[in-house]
Amino acid sequence: MAKWRNTTDTYGIIAQAMHWLVAAMVLVQLGLGLYAADLPVSLARLQWLSRHKSLGLAILALILLRFAWRAMNRPPALPAAMPSWQQRAARAMHWLLYALLVLAPLTGWLHASAAGLSVSWFGLFQVPDLISQDKELSALLKIAHRTCVALLSILLLGHAGAALWHAFVLRDGVLHRMLPWKPRGSA
Amino acid sequence: METPGQRVRLRIAAVLIASAAALPAHADQCYAVDSSRGALSFEVKQAGAPFRGKFKRFGGEVCLLADKVTRIEVWLEPASVDAGLPEIDAALRDKDFFAVSQFPRAVYSSQSVEVRGNDLVSHGTLQMKDKRRNFDVPFSLRREGDQQVVSGTLTLNRLDYGVGTGEWSNTQWLANEVKLDFKVTLAAISR
Repeated sequence: MAKWRNTTDTYGIIAQAMHWLVAAMVLVQLGLGLYAADLPVSLARLQWLSRHKSLGLAILALILLRFAWRAMNRPPALPAAMPSWQQRAARAMHWLLYALLVLAPLTGWLHASAAGLSVSWFGLFQVPDLISQDKELSALLKIAHRTCVALLSILLLGHAGAALWHAFVLRDGVLHRMLPWKPRGSA
Repeated sequence: METPGQRVRLRIAAVLIASAAALPAHADQCYAVDSSRGALSFEVKQAGAPFRGKFKRFGGEVCLLADKVTRIEVWLEPASVDAGLPEIDAALRDKDFFAVSQFPRAVYSSQSVEVRGNDLVSHGTLQMKDKRRNFDVPFSLRREGDQQVVSGTLTLNRLDYGVGTGEWSNTQWLANEVKLDFKVTLAAISR
């Protein structure tokens, strides 16, 4: 029976749900951003970028919730057989991922504010601007946002690759800590 | 020795000279509206959130007679739009919005100016693109030091003037109402 909270050997339902929800949202978000980035000024650009901004803010909120939940829930331990350099690398990777999952939407939000294109969250309520309109700063923040997204994409590929390596090469159950089902034959 | 006829003619001449000298005090005093001494900004909702910008070139005249506004004639060059983003400014100059190459100026002329409480309302016409409509502008005229300052806020419907045609006529994503804010210090015109 799955537990809500993390245990010593698996993530709980809440952590798993937030992980996969954020994962799905980030994939949609990357698609939206890449598609809209090259559109000329048009109604379609306004519509897709507005949805991109709203979704980005939702991801930021969920990531912050994940931090709060993680602070109250120790993640399950990595397999004892894993070399300590790998454990350190895995931990560093995760913190970098978290940092970029905050920085990517944050630089996007700052960019929207500096560009003077404020956000109404899915048309429901007005999101405050973080900074006032500034043409030069807006151009810099656009580069910052794209850089964060590029780094995040590389890290996500590494994250997914490592998970698959653990699941299919090492078969050490690391991926299954984040899955609602356990591999056959394990306890 | 003056004849009575000469005396009358002299008197008439004296009256004419006196009234000519007094005339400027009774005529309108016109002041220049100049973008270097004022600001004109707009705000419109995009995707439900405010989008702001300004127009950098505008001008015209405001005429006063004994602190009463008698005439307003102002123009605006939409090509001077500055919304902070070059690609959006370019789109605003293009044919779907201001079509600046075809319609370089929008012009407002008053027909009458009415006092309403502490403020004023100008009844007139606004000509923008190929549309000409009756348009009321509420504004205030205040003395700041030895300067006359005209300011006001108004809302107009961009679609009345064909600003944002085609796909941009979708008011759910780009609101019809555009708020304008203006404030300008009048400059005396020496004639």
